Amino acid sequence: MGIALNTLLILLTALAIPGVINRTRALLAGRKGIPFVQHLRNVNLLLHKGSVYSTTTTALFRIAPAIYIGAAIVATLFIPVADLNPLISFEGDMVCFAYTLALARTILILAAMDTGSSFEGMGAAREALYGALIEPALMIAFATLAMFCGYTSFADIFAQEQSFNLNLTIVMFLVAYLFIRITFVESGRVPVDDPRTHLELTMIHEVMCLDYSGIDMALIHIAGWLKSACFAMIAANAVAATFCFHWWFATPFAILLTGITIGVVESTQARNKLVRNTTFIVTISALAALIFFLGYLLQLDINI
Amino acid sequence: MFYLYLLIALSLLIALLFLTPIKHKVWVALAAVATTAFGLAIPAIGVLAGSRQVTLLHLPRTIFGAETITIDPLSALFLIIIGIAGIATIIYSRGYLAQYLTKKSSTHISLHYSSLAILIISMMMVVISSGGFSFLFAWELMTIASFILILFDAQRPEVQRAALAYLIMMHIGFIFLVAGFVGIFSATGMGTFDALAICFSGEKTIPLFIVFLIGFGMKAGLFPMHVWLPEAHPAAPSHVSAIMSGVMIKTGVYGVMRVLWYIADNAQLHTAGVILLTVGIITGLWGVILATLQNDAKRLLAYSSIENIGVIFIALGMATLGYASGHHVMATLALCGALMHTLNHSLFKSLLFFGAGNIYSQMHTTLLDRFGGVAKHMPVTAILFFVATAAICALPPFNGFVGEYLIYLGMLDGVRSDVGTLYCAAGIFSLALIGGLVVMAFTKLYSTIFLGSPRHHHVAESEEVDSCRIGAMAIPAAGIILIGLFPQFAINIIKSVASQFYPAAEKTIDAYIIPNLERISLTAWLLIIVIGLIYLLKSRAQQSRTIEQGPTWGCGFTSPNIRMQYTGESFSEGLESIATTLTQNTIEGRTVGKSEIFPSSHNYNIRHKDKIDRLFAAWWVELLRIINKRMMSLRTGKINNYILFALLFLVAIFILSILNII
Repeated sequence: MGIALNTLLILLTALAIPGVINRTRALLAGRKGIPFVQHLRNVNLLLHKGSVYSTTTTALFRIAPAIYIGAAIVATLFIPVADLNPLISFEGDMVCFAYTLALARTILILAAMDTGSSFEGMGAAREALYGALIEPALMIAFATLAMFCGYTSFADIFAQEQSFNLNLTIVMFLVAYLFIRITFVESGRVPVDDPRTHLELTMIHEVMCLDYSGIDMALIHIAGWLKSACFAMIAANAVAATFCFHWWFATPFAILLTGITIGVVESTQARNKLVRNTTFIVTISALAALIFFLGYLLQLDINI
Repeated sequence: MFYLYLLIALSLLIALLFLTPIKHKVWVALAAVATTAFGLAIPAIGVLAGSRQVTLLHLPRTIFGAETITIDPLSALFLIIIGIAGIATIIYSRGYLAQYLTKKSSTHISLHYSSLAILIISMMMVVISSGGFSFLFAWELMTIASFILILFDAQRPEVQRAALAYLIMMHIGFIFLVAGFVGIFSATGMGTFDALAICFSGEKTIPLFIVFLIGFGMKAGLFPMHVWLPEAHPAAPSHVSAIMSGVMIKTGVYGVMRVLWYIADNAQLHTAGVILLTVGIITGLWGVILATLQNDAKRLLAYSSIENIGVIFIALGMATLGYASGHHVMATLALCGALMHTLNHSLFKSLLFFGAGNIYSQMHTTLLDRFGGVAKHMPVTAILFFVATAAICALPPFNGFVGEYLIYLGMLDGVRSDVGTLYCAAGIFSLALIGGLVVMAFTKLYSTIFLGSPRHHHVAESEEVDSCRIGAMAIPAAGIILIGLFPQFAINIIKSVASQFYPAAEKTIDAYIIPNLERISLTAWLLIIVIGLIYLLKSRAQQSRTIEQGPTWGCGFTSPNIRMQYTGESFSEGLESIATTLTQNTIEGRTVGKSEIFPSSHNYNIRHKDKIDRLFAAWWVELLRIINKRMMSLRTGKINNYILFALLFLVAIFILSILNII
């Protein structure tokens, strides 16, 4: 029962975040904006369309969307929603989570390169580099959680509300902050990537799926939402664990936290110049290492 | 006694190889290797299944002292690894060498096959020798056999250079090993590995350990002794690269593990662990960054082997640190990770080199920018290469993931139990970065070769290779998939090895690792089922839609052409801009300038050379050359001069001993 609810809630989060982002942006720009469920309508439209495949591509190109979304789905099955239990949980499932997402990334890079387009090559090369540079941040963030909670699976780390502890609260908030930053990179949002840009030369994620259409495109969109939902939920769990550890708090918190943050950043910031992106991402990894070190010092309980 | 006869029979068989007709030489070599492999696999499997160790043969006392041929769990694991890769390599070589049978002389082919058989058999001897003399003998035999194998295309000057560099570096390593064994001998009066236990109980543990680490590290390709790998692998025929990269460099890992086993003191183990971890991190990062920058398939694979050795050493370092701190769960996890990764790497790296061999035999080049769209012409190779690519990127559901999972779990376990937290964090950080960059390197490799449009007309003329090679490639591919899908059974192979190192390991594996690996297996199956289901649903839905074919979307650009495709160089350009300090670039031609509105035709060629290479072209090399030249004047070729030198030497010894200097 709990597991089914957990899975449903993650799905709900995944579907709701893009809506919240759009509404936030419309609100800040003073526009009426598109309806909350517009992204779902778009995907529904795509699901009913036919497809065009490039003659350059191989079978890999056609299987790739299925692998991409399959990996994203399996990745969501590791994530607990506050006090609920996820479907899959074992020691070190965080590693499995990270590498399942790596599978998704790899297959999309290969699919992009399969088209033989220089633009898609551009996107693929960038995605490969940024993905490589963000990986340490992700693993060190997980290690910070493991160090502070003493467990190596998401379900055990977020198993119960922690009794109030200033050190823990500081670290958990920092980790949540880190995961939001990682979400920017992993789901291709401003300031790393701009999903609304119209110039292929500056795109990253969007340009990789230029040759996808119809159902394939819909699958890639859904997989992207699922990926963001995973990170949003981990961030929300980290915050919730310190004061209000219930699913009815964590779910809306995950949606609003990520949705509003991304919406605000997209409305107020310009995207980075591409050469600045590497610095931006390496900074996140460095930040992660710093947070780990801070956590280590706090855990030692030294009176500074 | 059986094994003595086996040894004699093998020698005869290899001699017989020279007499067999050229087409059947491969079967003789295969017979020799298969007999040895199966003859040793039976006791090896027995050892892995439970019994502690088996002594097969006592060597002649006059030459070898008290040395024996003994299989313990560690050697049994390596025997299995060598056996599988060896048999696959020889089967593969039949197809690969088919086109050379008419070009090369019969003796040449015989020499190649006999060296191949000797290389594989000597590697097996390396891992079952209990003592210095027999070990060093097998070690040297291995080096020389592989030297001859690299020289297969000896008419190419770069091959000669690479082979010579290899031979020299291996002998520098050999000197360190001899020094190590002499150290043992002088301290204990015995030259066996077991005597190390006595040595390591004394004061000078770490210096002796470092001597062995350098000796074995030369073979394994540890930083900065890795420079021979990227030269030798592209020079050697692909099946030779496969066995050298997949297995031979692992004998270095074997040696380090063997030596490490005898360190008993915890403080010294701790120091050894820190050394291994540091070396591992540097080797891993260096290897993977250079791998990503390479534009030659085999050089890329060679650097990736260096990176994998780095990963194995990170895991070994973690295991040692964990054991030194008395934290057996972490030690077991990391050690299992190291062993698992050793096994896994031998499978996917040989498969990758076989794949590179397939494309080389069709297109006669390994330069990435000559390929593109090969998957359409060689679909089976493309699929097998994909399996190996995914495995080396440690993606589930393949075997690479299982090894890395265990290593990560060991380090996370260290972090959560506060055992060497900062070391573990350093390990996690670098392993994650390595993991990410491996994905970059191998997506570059795979996509520039197999995907996209052909960049060269050779591609259109290529066709799928013969079934012999495909069959040989299926052996490691099957291993990759089986270990990936059933890791809970695969772990049993290394269980007794782990418990040889740490007595408590067996309990940890049964109670802790296997249940988790069962979940990994379930996740892998779930992943496959979900993907299969979605693909099926998608295909069914698409049946009722209009599906069209068309050219790739050119973003409104009216005349895109094949030359505009992303090349290997452009793929890694982003990393290159960060990692410029690690390489020395040689550039021919020039890029299109920003002010050129109508660019004329340009030629641009860039090569990323390892900065460490400079270390071997520095002033001291020049000095050595000059000294060598001076010394050469002593080589007169006249026998009376040599007798004089011998006399002078004896007199010198005499005087020195009178003066009590020696």
